[in-house]
Amino acid sequence: MNLKAMRRRPMALLFIVWMMLLTSACGSTISNNASSDTTKATSGSEPVVESVKKNEPVKVVWWHSMSGELGKTLDQLVSDFNSSQQAVQVEAVFQGTYDESLNKLKAAMDSESSPTLMQVYEIGSRFMIDTKAVTPIQTFIDKENYDTTSLEPNILNYYTFDNQLYSMPFNTSNPILYYNKDAFKAAGLDPENPPTTYEGVAKAAKALTTEGKSGASFAIYGWFMEQLLANQGKELIDNGNGRTSPATSSLLNSEAAVSTLTWWKQMLDDKSIINLGRKTDDTKKAFAAGQIAMTLDSTASLRGIVSSTKGKFEVGTAFLPKPEGSNEGGVVVGGASLWIMNNRSQEEQQGAWEFIKYLAQPTTQANWHINTGYFPITKKAYDEQNVKDNLAKYPQFQTAVDQLHQTKPSLSTQGAVMGVFPEARQLTETAIEEVLNNSKSPREALNDAAKAITSKIQEYNQTVSK
Amino acid sequence: MEKNVTLQHMLKRTTFLPVFSTRSMHTNRWLERILAFVFLAPSLLLFSIFLFYPLLKSVYLSMNLTDPRGRVVQYVGLRNFTDLLTSELFYKSITVTLSFILLTVPTGIILSLILAWLAQTRLRGIHLFRFIFSLPMAISVGTGSIIWMVLYHPTLGTLNYFLSLLHIAPINWLSDPNWALFSVALMTVWMNLGFQFIVLLSGMQGVSEDIYDSAQIDGAGPLKTFFKLTLPLITPSIFFVTVVSMIGAFQSFGQINILTKGGPMNSTNVMVFNIYQDAFMNYRFGTGSAQALILFFIVLILTLIQFKVLEKKVHYQ
Repeated sequence: MNLKAMRRRPMALLFIVWMMLLTSACGSTISNNASSDTTKATSGSEPVVESVKKNEPVKVVWWHSMSGELGKTLDQLVSDFNSSQQAVQVEAVFQGTYDESLNKLKAAMDSESSPTLMQVYEIGSRFMIDTKAVTPIQTFIDKENYDTTSLEPNILNYYTFDNQLYSMPFNTSNPILYYNKDAFKAAGLDPENPPTTYEGVAKAAKALTTEGKSGASFAIYGWFMEQLLANQGKELIDNGNGRTSPATSSLLNSEAAVSTLTWWKQMLDDKSIINLGRKTDDTKKAFAAGQIAMTLDSTASLRGIVSSTKGKFEVGTAFLPKPEGSNEGGVVVGGASLWIMNNRSQEEQQGAWEFIKYLAQPTTQANWHINTGYFPITKKAYDEQNVKDNLAKYPQFQTAVDQLHQTKPSLSTQGAVMGVFPEARQLTETAIEEVLNNSKSPREALNDAAKAITSKIQEYNQTVSK
Repeated sequence: MEKNVTLQHMLKRTTFLPVFSTRSMHTNRWLERILAFVFLAPSLLLFSIFLFYPLLKSVYLSMNLTDPRGRVVQYVGLRNFTDLLTSELFYKSITVTLSFILLTVPTGIILSLILAWLAQTRLRGIHLFRFIFSLPMAISVGTGSIIWMVLYHPTLGTLNYFLSLLHIAPINWLSDPNWALFSVALMTVWMNLGFQFIVLLSGMQGVSEDIYDSAQIDGAGPLKTFFKLTLPLITPSIFFVTVVSMIGAFQSFGQINILTKGGPMNSTNVMVFNIYQDAFMNYRFGTGSAQALILFFIVLILTLIQFKVLEKKVHYQ
């Protein structure tokens, strides 16, 4: 068969190259020929998009980290875009988790194999800027006078640095409290009036704890700690959460953090919550199985949680709790945004921008929101009929939307930015573990973690400023 | 024994073949050397691309600081090494690695030895058992880890379900710092069992029947036969399995990455995982490479010790 022959030819060529390399010195030129032949052969096996026009369509490669149902929805968006016009063809490539994908980008940054458009998680923003390998989205916005007024200000705030929008938000979420309404009723609590404060959660957890069932469980996830602090209007790092100038030290050992961790530990000591480790997947499963009555999780999990508990019990959602008397702050936007890499040609970057504009349209965002559970980034999406229907069907989702809209804009809710964010998160998680496992007191653990994070930040700054 | 004799016979015959007899000894040796290199060239080339070059690059990187993109920005001499040797976390990861080896290597070898001994008996259907005992080898680290993750699940896991039947409180296999390393080690022992079993079984099957027959005539019981005959005669296999398992345990990564990610409280943060975190998650190739080099020397020294000390006890037939 033709295909077989094509596959074999490079192998045969490679073999010849081997022989030449072994016997003579002119091997290198031949090996060049061979490799170009190989690439031709492989690209020939891919489906070639026939262009009807004289101009070839611009090909934009997009690396993303959306797997499973999210990935399917995303592929649908891409094919819709590709068939809607002829000028730009987007090729979406799944590159593993956010971490893995970012690692691959780093390896590919200076080569031909790098993408034009890149999805990066929110905590990778500082890193992306520091690489100086991106074109800020603001450049395109200014060039076209693109109207950003309909976009969610809270979401734009996160991705704005030095008054420039560096990347376009795409999938955004925040954490909420999930609770089991049936368990609330059984424990004599009001299922329509969930706890909103630390004290309330502790009390409810105590009441909800019965033989074989636990009041709550929160995954040891650094993101929750960040959110619980922002929810009290507290900053995570200095220099305005790293927004006014690059941060130099961590504020993780603040009073607010100590009292938050003390609250968490106290509930564990009271045996009204259980510790299920770092994975939100484990707390989610335990919640869906009715083994715990409350849990913290991302809004992006709402669709999954509601469908996995269907017929078992009714799920309620509430705002992320805060300490009594605190009326500052709110939640920080989580999720990921889209970055345009500056080593690609102008045409490709422009093509990526066209695609970004398509993704930001209210209809696209509505579609994305309904099928995934992420927020729409544009306020206009809420006017779409399918979004209204969805909110009527899943009233739980209103909580998340309200929580986003009620967030008071400040440096703390704008979210911290630092180059070593992923590592800071690991260190925070270790600190929480040390407290929950009785190895250190909250203050001790947070002091140590803050010290470690500070030294990582300083080392990072040292390598970046050079 | 007979086989050996004929083999030696054949070897002798081949060396006497008059292939090079017309040329002088000197050119013969030369040609042989060149021929040896020609045959070695493919593996040498692959080794230099994938092992020697990265090794040299690691040495270079270990003396530099890298920026967030992994590019070298500053020469710092031995600072990465001194930083490591003064860091508490580094010593913790060394102790974790060593305890992990102690938990996995001896237990794995003893278990597979018992299994191999059981599977060596001539019974009907023993092939089925051999097949079952060697099955873990067919499962990749990723798949195996996922299976054990389900078993270890804190609330829905099978292991905790059995405990609840015995009215024992559930154990947080992977999120309790006192249990996590044990749980990962348990999974690793299971995973390596297949390979160790096959090597040891083939070692046992290589022992000649005549020896057993004469032992039986002399009145040796099964236990005595095992300890006085089988065990000494398969020491080459045991030695091989020990060295390979130990290096394998040093390099364990997949199960830790999937099951615990080095946590909780760094209780499963073995050196290889720490290297991965430093180099590929936090983009510090300098400290990552420095750790990799230290690990290399630890493995090198331990392997040398094994060859110098343990090999003396190995009995080659």
